[in-house]
Amino acid sequence: MKNRGQQLARTVAMLALVVLAFIGLGLRLLDLQLWRHAELGALAEKGSQEKIPQAARRGDILDVNGNLLATTVPVKTVCANPSLLGNQQVAVAHALAPLLQMNEADLFQKLQPRLIKNSKGQMVTNQYAVLQRKVSDETWQEIYCAMTNLPLAIDLTKMSKTERVDFRNFAFNLRQYAIFGEDDQLRVYQNGALAAHVLGFVGTKQTTNNTSELFGYDGIEKFFDDKLEGASGWRVTGMDSRKNELTAYRDEDVQARDGLNVVLTIDTAVQNILETELADAMREHLPAGITGIITRPGTGEILAMASFPNFDPNNLQSINSNNEPNRVISDVMEPGSTFKTIVISGALNDRIVSLNDKVFCENGLFHYGGITLHDAEHNHLGNIPVWEVLEKSSNIGASKIGIKLQAPRLYEYMTDFGFGAATGIPLPGEVSAHRFVRPANEWGKYSIAQIPMGQGVAVTRLQMAMAISAIANGGVLMRPMLVKQLQDSDGNIVQKYEPKAVRRVVSEETAKQMVEALKTVVSDEGTAPLARLADYVVAGKTGTAQKVVDGKYANDHFVVSFIGFFPADNPQVCISIVMDSPKEGGRAFGGALCGPVFHNVAERCASYLNIPADEHMQPPNSPAPLVAAGVSR
Amino acid sequence: MAKNKKNQAAAIRFGPALAAFFACFVIAGAAVGYVWQKGQIYELGKQIRDKEIRLVQLQKDDDQRVKDLAELLSPVKLDERAKELNLGLSPAQPMQVVRLTEPAISMPVIKNMTQQFAARPIDVMSQ
Repeated sequence: MKNRGQQLARTVAMLALVVLAFIGLGLRLLDLQLWRHAELGALAEKGSQEKIPQAARRGDILDVNGNLLATTVPVKTVCANPSLLGNQQVAVAHALAPLLQMNEADLFQKLQPRLIKNSKGQMVTNQYAVLQRKVSDETWQEIYCAMTNLPLAIDLTKMSKTERVDFRNFAFNLRQYAIFGEDDQLRVYQNGALAAHVLGFVGTKQTTNNTSELFGYDGIEKFFDDKLEGASGWRVTGMDSRKNELTAYRDEDVQARDGLNVVLTIDTAVQNILETELADAMREHLPAGITGIITRPGTGEILAMASFPNFDPNNLQSINSNNEPNRVISDVMEPGSTFKTIVISGALNDRIVSLNDKVFCENGLFHYGGITLHDAEHNHLGNIPVWEVLEKSSNIGASKIGIKLQAPRLYEYMTDFGFGAATGIPLPGEVSAHRFVRPANEWGKYSIAQIPMGQGVAVTRLQMAMAISAIANGGVLMRPMLVKQLQDSDGNIVQKYEPKAVRRVVSEETAKQMVEALKTVVSDEGTAPLARLADYVVAGKTGTAQKVVDGKYANDHFVVSFIGFFPADNPQVCISIVMDSPKEGGRAFGGALCGPVFHNVAERCASYLNIPADEHMQPPNSPAPLVAAGVSR
Repeated sequence: MAKNKKNQAAAIRFGPALAAFFACFVIAGAAVGYVWQKGQIYELGKQIRDKEIRLVQLQKDDDQRVKDLAELLSPVKLDERAKELNLGLSPAQPMQVVRLTEPAISMPVIKNMTQQFAARPIDVMSQ
């Protein structure tokens, strides 16, 4: 009986223990699964799941023929985890310094562990140090191999078994994980400095997850940054203990969308022709700057645009405040005699004068409104027809025509031709120069005599080129077109840009008359015989503008220019060459300095673009074209 | 009679044994199937991953080829190469150019564009 009682007591006790144990387990289960669910769930996910960012590839920039101008290549940012290096910094620095093209001592310093405060305020060894950015994939492979085969000068025989196991683990982590590469992108400009001011360049910014990202800093890169950059994606996925992705455990997989390719109207070959000729002129005349633009007058397409001094966008160190600005759109200048085309076009269009009307040029000296206007030293002109005002570039003749046209109408023509307003070219940094094209009621008493000869008004080089292109285009001003289309990475067109007419500025008849008059500029009697071409009739205008130095017009600082187009009767290209402060100083003239540059560029462009030669070319200085326009010498 | 009962009982027990065996077979089959399927998922996942890595590598190679081609076509690089190899190449001088007198080839796009805009009335042009 006693035994039975004892047996029962033991059974009850055991049962109680088992029940208590189950209650304990249940409580623990509740603790893990219910009360600490969120905390532990996050911890578990952190260990096995990872969010991998997917960088979008920045779009390319192509020329009109699909040639690559700017592209993106994948590179690596080489990083180190100093906490895994132990005391092997010297060996690692010795192995990697030549591959990273770094000084061994500098690399050794970067590999040294540092104590940093973590998010909880504890002092820990840093686990991340950037060693080198923009390392090519090939170099990264070499680095990986060098680390995998890293020799470690340790004598294992003197170690205990436990020490040997520890060392093997350390060596494995050191060789596999101490040096790692992060994906990055490098922008490459295939042609170096070619079209640098059009393309611009990119900068690098750090993102929140410690990776770098490219962004447009200037030029097309900046203007179309939102189209070029694309959209990043990400992938949330399971990882094994060796950080290999477990594809079956992908939760989210949002693919990156690559940036769009921007196709320009620029032709690489034409751009190269322009830049080589400008570089030659730069060497010969040592100007402060020289610019060139080549447009298609009929569409406003820009085939080439260059500004010297220039820079290599592959080498950001070469960029400075002197060579960075695109002077074609960012600098204003007094246009000088090229502006006479605007005044005379307006006067012809309003029928205030005709090409054969005579203008008395005061034998080279004209007093008006308290100032004295001069013609060029060799010009002591008397009664000359209007077309000869252009041919000889008479300041007095142009002023008198401007006075006849009157200030309000002249101002209207100036604004119609696009002066004082941005052209709308898709490039950052374009100035409108509206402060320098004031309304007629704000003009001084002699502005009406001064502005027609291109003084007292300021324009950009692009505005002037587009205005002359408008005359070449039968009197219609076109919007400059620099981008032909946007396309995706498969070449599908996403957006196409069409030529856009801004407005008609003069009648077709007036434009024709102007073309005839401008043809005489390259004759032997004109100001730019050196711009003449053997197989094409050229029409154009020279400009020689004094620069303002210390508030006065200087006699030794000039901006000289020539803007011309050919074939004159069916213009295919319009070329503008502008030189700022050439070494010739007071002896500098647009026709003498820019005329030959125009000639060389035009000859080579005509050959490359296969522009049909003018049939029945008249010998130079022939009156035939003028006769055709009802003009007589 | 007793013998018959014994025989009957044996016959009755064979059915449940078969059923139990079948149930075990299904459960074991499901387990093996589950493991096999997991293995397949892992294997296919690995293949997907390998193919993705290969695709990325091919895209990189493709980009490299495009870059190489662009470099070969670059007029700047061609100029440099011609100078480097001292080939004596330079643009043709005007005296070296022979122009054939043939009917002019019209450039329809540009010509039409000029005429098209020139012919439009002013209000249409100023849009």
